[in-house]
Amino acid sequence: MKKKLISIFLAAAMTLSFAGCSQESDGGSENNNNNSNNSANNGGENTDNQGGGAASGETITLRVWGGEEDQALLAELVDDFKAAHPDQSFDIQVGVESESTAKDTVLTDISAAADVFAFASDQLASLVRANALANIDSMSDVLSAYSGKSVADVKSANSAGTISTATYKDTLYAFPMSGGNNYFLYYDANVLSEDDVKSWDSMLTKAQQGGKQVGMTLASGWYLASFFMGAGFTASTNEDGTTNCDWNGTSADGYTGVQVVESILGITNNSSFLAVADGDLSNQIASGNVCAIVDGTWDADAAQAAFGDGYRATKLPTFTCNGNQLQQYAFTGSKLIGVNALSENVGWATVLAEFLTNEASQNKRFDQRQLSPSNINAASRDEVKANVAGAASIAQDSFGAVQDVGEKFWDPTKTLGELCAQKQLEIGDTAGIQASLDTAVEGITAAIS
Amino acid sequence: MTKKGKIKQLIKDILRHLVIIIMVSVWLIPILWLVVTSFSAYTGRNTSNFFPEEWSLQNYINILNPTSTTVNFPIWMWNTFKIAVAVCIVCTMFAVMVAYATSFFRFKARKPMMNIAVILNLFPGVLSMISVYFILKALNLTNTHIGLTLVYCASSGLGYLIAKGYFDTVPRALIEAAKLDGASQAKTFFSIIMPISKPIIVYTVISSFLTPWTDFVFSKMILNSGIANMWTVSIGLYNMLDRSLINTYFSQFCAGGVIVSIPISILFVFMQKFYVEGITGGAVKG
Amino acid sequence: MTTKTKKTNKVSDFFKSLGSYFKSFGEAVVKGDIFVKLSLIWVGAGYARRKQFIRSLLVTILEAAVIAYSVLVAPQYISKFNTLGEVQMEMVFDINTMKNVPNDYDDSFQILLFSVITIIIWAVFLFFWISNVIHAYRLQKMAENGEHINNFKEDISSYLNEKFHITLLSVPVLGIVLFSVVPIFILILVAFTNYDQEHMAPTALFTWNGLTNFINLFGGGGITVTFGYSFVRVLGWTLVWAFFATFTTYFGGILLALFLNNKRTKLAKLWRALFVVTIAVPQFVSLLLVRNFFANNGIANTILADIGFTGFLQNIGLLSYDYIPFLTAPGWAHVTIIMVNIWIGIPYQMLVATGVLSNLPADQIESARIDGASTGQIFRHITMPYVLFVTGPTLVTDFVRNINNFNVIYLLTQDVFTTTDQYLANSQAKEVDLLVTWLFRLTQEYYNYKMASVIGICVFVICAVFTLVAFNFMTGKDKEEVYN
Repeated sequence: MKKKLISIFLAAAMTLSFAGCSQESDGGSENNNNNSNNSANNGGENTDNQGGGAASGETITLRVWGGEEDQALLAELVDDFKAAHPDQSFDIQVGVESESTAKDTVLTDISAAADVFAFASDQLASLVRANALANIDSMSDVLSAYSGKSVADVKSANSAGTISTATYKDTLYAFPMSGGNNYFLYYDANVLSEDDVKSWDSMLTKAQQGGKQVGMTLASGWYLASFFMGAGFTASTNEDGTTNCDWNGTSADGYTGVQVVESILGITNNSSFLAVADGDLSNQIASGNVCAIVDGTWDADAAQAAFGDGYRATKLPTFTCNGNQLQQYAFTGSKLIGVNALSENVGWATVLAEFLTNEASQNKRFDQRQLSPSNINAASRDEVKANVAGAASIAQDSFGAVQDVGEKFWDPTKTLGELCAQKQLEIGDTAGIQASLDTAVEGITAAIS
Repeated sequence: MTKKGKIKQLIKDILRHLVIIIMVSVWLIPILWLVVTSFSAYTGRNTSNFFPEEWSLQNYINILNPTSTTVNFPIWMWNTFKIAVAVCIVCTMFAVMVAYATSFFRFKARKPMMNIAVILNLFPGVLSMISVYFILKALNLTNTHIGLTLVYCASSGLGYLIAKGYFDTVPRALIEAAKLDGASQAKTFFSIIMPISKPIIVYTVISSFLTPWTDFVFSKMILNSGIANMWTVSIGLYNMLDRSLINTYFSQFCAGGVIVSIPISILFVFMQKFYVEGITGGAVKG
Repeated sequence: MTTKTKKTNKVSDFFKSLGSYFKSFGEAVVKGDIFVKLSLIWVGAGYARRKQFIRSLLVTILEAAVIAYSVLVAPQYISKFNTLGEVQMEMVFDINTMKNVPNDYDDSFQILLFSVITIIIWAVFLFFWISNVIHAYRLQKMAENGEHINNFKEDISSYLNEKFHITLLSVPVLGIVLFSVVPIFILILVAFTNYDQEHMAPTALFTWNGLTNFINLFGGGGITVTFGYSFVRVLGWTLVWAFFATFTTYFGGILLALFLNNKRTKLAKLWRALFVVTIAVPQFVSLLLVRNFFANNGIANTILADIGFTGFLQNIGLLSYDYIPFLTAPGWAHVTIIMVNIWIGIPYQMLVATGVLSNLPADQIESARIDGASTGQIFRHITMPYVLFVTGPTLVTDFVRNINNFNVIYLLTQDVFTTTDQYLANSQAKEVDLLVTWLFRLTQEYYNYKMASVIGICVFVICAVFTLVAFNFMTGKDKEEVYN
């Protein structure tokens, strides 16, 4: 008798809740917030002609995620998209999700993520492996019907490098939005000359004379890899998501991992070198202590403001390894727009994703955000070529490697970089360095979870 | 008292107050930094000077008149306020109801239930987050403020201990007298117990009112549509310190922090007395 | 010894009452009249016979609802509980509607979730069903003895009087069951599955894998070589942290309260209010702020370098950096974290202690003073024991809360601290991680739900053991009745 009332409550409430959830109404919660960003347009759009073409009378609800800085641009592009498809009524919302963290949010609950979302290309593999991205190759018919171009057209319109970053196991999973998501060198021409920045040695010597520092993030596998790739090391992923890595061995070019670490230590031991914490680059630029820094296009404004008329950018310098000068490489990266595989309106989402990355949109994106286009035509415009950071990013792409690493790559390499940055490894201590590399590789190549 | 003793006492007093002043300053330095940075004309983190080189009200103007679609502080405040009011009503009711039942009634399931509550409290909340999320999703309540409110309130019955401790100190004679007068339990509860429980109710109200302002783990998880107008203050402010945004928004973050803190501080300072009585009344019993 | 006997008594009591419960059920079934027996099938039968028609109707509706649920909803989940589903999701795109059409796939997490809920519903209903038969039999006996049987109105009024506690507890308990109990069951079950990044519902399936995760954690070798190593390190710091975080703020708060309470302190109210301001700033604001304050290139470092303190530390060899790594080097970070916790924790403890001190037994202190006891003696022999007695239990709960103190560690160190211990890095842990923050990162960034669940269970066991030991150690007796 004691808990009778409780049990009645329990059962009743639960039964109610099941009744509620057995009807599939995923859109329900989203409809509550229609009146967000572009409500002004929705009103007019909804009353537009309903029939015509293959478009149904149904309003297509879509959600787009882009970075905070892209919000205004996205709202504008979405309006253009609606104008381009007057026969179909849309309800498109633009939400915020930084490209760098999109994967984390999407994978927590794929079905709750946006239909169309922007992300950095390094997340592609994880997203594909979790079946979060729609296969674009299979959408060719849709694109032909609604955007007038096939997937092959999309592939040929964008640079081969950016298409490769959007491709996983020979299948296209996203549309390149902008290229140049790699890193290169910004420098201050008032302190360093064009010749100085050709190698780390000359750059650090000159910086010391000028009383300035050269900054680079080491405590991040993304940046640290530049040295190893320069020495001919590679990393790749396997079918099961694990990473192959041979940094503790000998590279194709005949350098050992120990030699590479010793070269890095040679740089960090220089008092003009500043090891920047991951994510702190723009802050260091603004502080005015650095005359050169390894960074990407996203910090172009900060660099321009700090270096003033001395603002320059170029490919990464060479570093000394085992007595030779080796060119530092960078991961070729791009920003992509993908389609949620679980999106209800996956067809229209694909059309929208394509639209957001077509030539006209990329032109707009460059005009507003100075992000170098991945589209070949858009990239060949004079103003793009004149862009300092964009040009450097393209120059660096000649010394780039496609990033093909798994989840387990990041933490061990971050710590390896931190060990170098904090000088906890010593030149000459071959055994110690080798042990560190072995441990790191063990972590990198470990099985998933 | 001798003159010497007086002087000694005076020095002691001065020392005592000096220590207090030093401690208070140490405690207030970060708060001061928060306030002065919020008046800085520089948008990022000022790393070279404690006080801004240039003062400005721009951060407050920006944050209260949002131009960006993603930084919409007034809406976040309003969202959080709505949730906070709902949470504090429901949580207070739940906590008081459970506390009253466990303090004034002796029923068979009482001890086992209290023991179970202790055990449940030992599980880390972040751990159950993913399950809670999917339960809400099954109820179709993710991305709604109702869902978030539900999460804050649902388990608040477990927070009954302090209120129970307080009720345990209420003289039983009062209840007996009411019973003799023929009042029902429900009537006793509302007309006798509630009025004398003001401190503990104020305590519960304040602490539950604060929950939505301080939590960002659950809110970030549940309000995951990316639509900034849905956010609460904590998600919004946390988002401002994202790596790519910190240099644009740090001083606005400070301004936002100040704005959030003002009403809470006032609430605290005025309610301090009740708050203290509430906790200690409860803490006596633990 | 005494506690032990008491324990066994408790356990035997429990089984005794369980036994008598089933005994009375058996008795009811055997000795009950036809309506009691009918209650086994139609739960409303007994009530209907005793003319409690509304009540009969209500329980009948309940029975119908549970049966409907069991037939219509439950089977699709519970039948797959043994495998957690076998049909993987596949999407088929339909170009005519421009929509994706999913196949009839299994969502492992939904199966797990609804199976747990179903089992709980069934368990509760079973309890209700048994109690119902017993009650029907009791009604029969009451009718035989000619006792009064409540009508519906009287039933309702009993829920506002002697059964008022049931009314009070029903809704809160429902909330707790749905949002605390169910998630915890799921957590425990997930620890026995392979739910991780490779097996993420709904696009992929996960299934049971027995004790594999536990074996992996505790040195079973195989895929997670360094997990055990990291677990021990993280656990160690968790305990150290919980100890310091609890005791520094506890005693700090009491001392500060005493200091401010002293009647020679002028403007005590003002000082107290100033301290309270620091707890009024929401924690995530103050912690994120402090994290920037103590950044490597933050304002604290700039000031300390300007006044020469950083240089001084370097000179005496305590520092090998150009800055003080407040939150970026192990050791330094540990101390900073505890200091920051003191900063946010003491004002709160001070408030608690102020309240407790205001209830000090004044007569005792007065008589002690007349006996010539010094201030120190009074503090040691009267004040402190009293405060300890009153707030002792909160020490235990605070300790447990600190073991699970997610906010302070996460907000201070996330994205800031980089470990230099490669073994920790290989299992995504850091020196400053608590078990809960490690667990949070495993779920949020690596989707390693299975290992997170295992760690969660460990956290629970640690907290449970600690709580039991502490409470037994402190008193072991029930203080409750002393006060009433």
